[in-house]
Amino acid sequence: MTEEKKDKEDKKEEDDVFPFIEGETIDLVAGSSKWANLICKWMNNPKVRHYSRNMWPLTLEEVKKFFEPLPDRQMREFIVFTIYHKQSKRPIGSVGFNHINWVSRNANIFATIGEPEYWGRGIVVEASKLIINYGFTELNLHKIFAGVFTPNTRSLRAAEKLGFEKEGVLKEEMYVDGQYHDIHKFALFKRDWLKSNE
Amino acid sequence: MTDDIIPIFIEGETIDFVPLNIENIKLYAKWENNPKVRIYARNILPRTVEEMKKYLEPSDKRPKNEVSFEIWHKKDKKTIGFGELSDINWYNQQAYLGLLIGEPDYWGQKIGEEATRLLVEYAFNELNIFKLKASILVVNKGSWRCAEKNGFTREATLKKDMYVNGEYLDNYVYSLLKEDWLKLKK
Repeated sequence: MTEEKKDKEDKKEEDDVFPFIEGETIDLVAGSSKWANLICKWMNNPKVRHYSRNMWPLTLEEVKKFFEPLPDRQMREFIVFTIYHKQSKRPIGSVGFNHINWVSRNANIFATIGEPEYWGRGIVVEASKLIINYGFTELNLHKIFAGVFTPNTRSLRAAEKLGFEKEGVLKEEMYVDGQYHDIHKFALFKRDWLKSNE
Repeated sequence: MTDDIIPIFIEGETIDFVPLNIENIKLYAKWENNPKVRIYARNILPRTVEEMKKYLEPSDKRPKNEVSFEIWHKKDKKTIGFGELSDINWYNQQAYLGLLIGEPDYWGQKIGEEATRLLVEYAFNELNIFKLKASILVVNKGSWRCAEKNGFTREATLKKDMYVNGEYLDNYVYSLLKEDWLKLKK
């Protein structure tokens, strides 16, 4: 792609980015199949998938399938946003909830920055704050939980910074790079979140 | 249907709630088409057995946006109607409660009252519903009495909301909040 053409593409892309939740350095935007190639790159990237614990190759077709609409009126057990970096005008990762239980009102939070150059800038914390607030004040969740495996010190710190409390440790729960690792289970309740954000 | 294969889901005193059963499809069609019954259920179009069957097709919607039961009369060992939660909204944690006693012989025996109580308990204690609503035609006195007996209050009157047998009738919206229901139970 020539520079000029790429600029044009970028401009075009910018026009159809739809922020759903606005932050300071990032917005959370509706995902789009036009980013399927990018998401495919992130999810297969060894540096990234080491932390998001994806041990299977993911084809572009599989990624595209994520964007297929659900049947009418089906409740989602999975809600994901693309993290869009405002200044550099590009998608850099994903944040969302999975395992949503609508009766017991809880969900697992996940966040991945697919572009390692954006690591260590507090973006996961910012994106998580936005989506936690969305989870409690819009989805009416009661509890948000997270699982972090021991070597992922960055996520452990992020969980603490966000006010999550440790609920327990699952011993040798996850096999990563030739070793079993513990998983730390964290939880955050709506009442505590609302109190600390008054 | 023999006693030992009744898959009781919720146990009551006079009645139980059991899952819908395709073998009873003709019974359902009879109820839904019965002029005495359908005036309150507001069925304006004939219901075919085929249409009713479609309604029973398994759905993989999770969580469901409606739940229906058969009302099983324990002593008479007979299926006599439906109870349902419909239009469940999982964001607002709301649902509509609905009942149909398809056998008019069983009207006026407080079965609706018991069925309502069982459905309310199920909605609040098992499904974590926050607010229940019921939409009841002004002429359907039996139903509004059984809603009121269970703590529902009339929240709104929708003026001339339904066209029934040649005239427009008001429609009541009854509601019950879980927090108020808990207080009543104390």
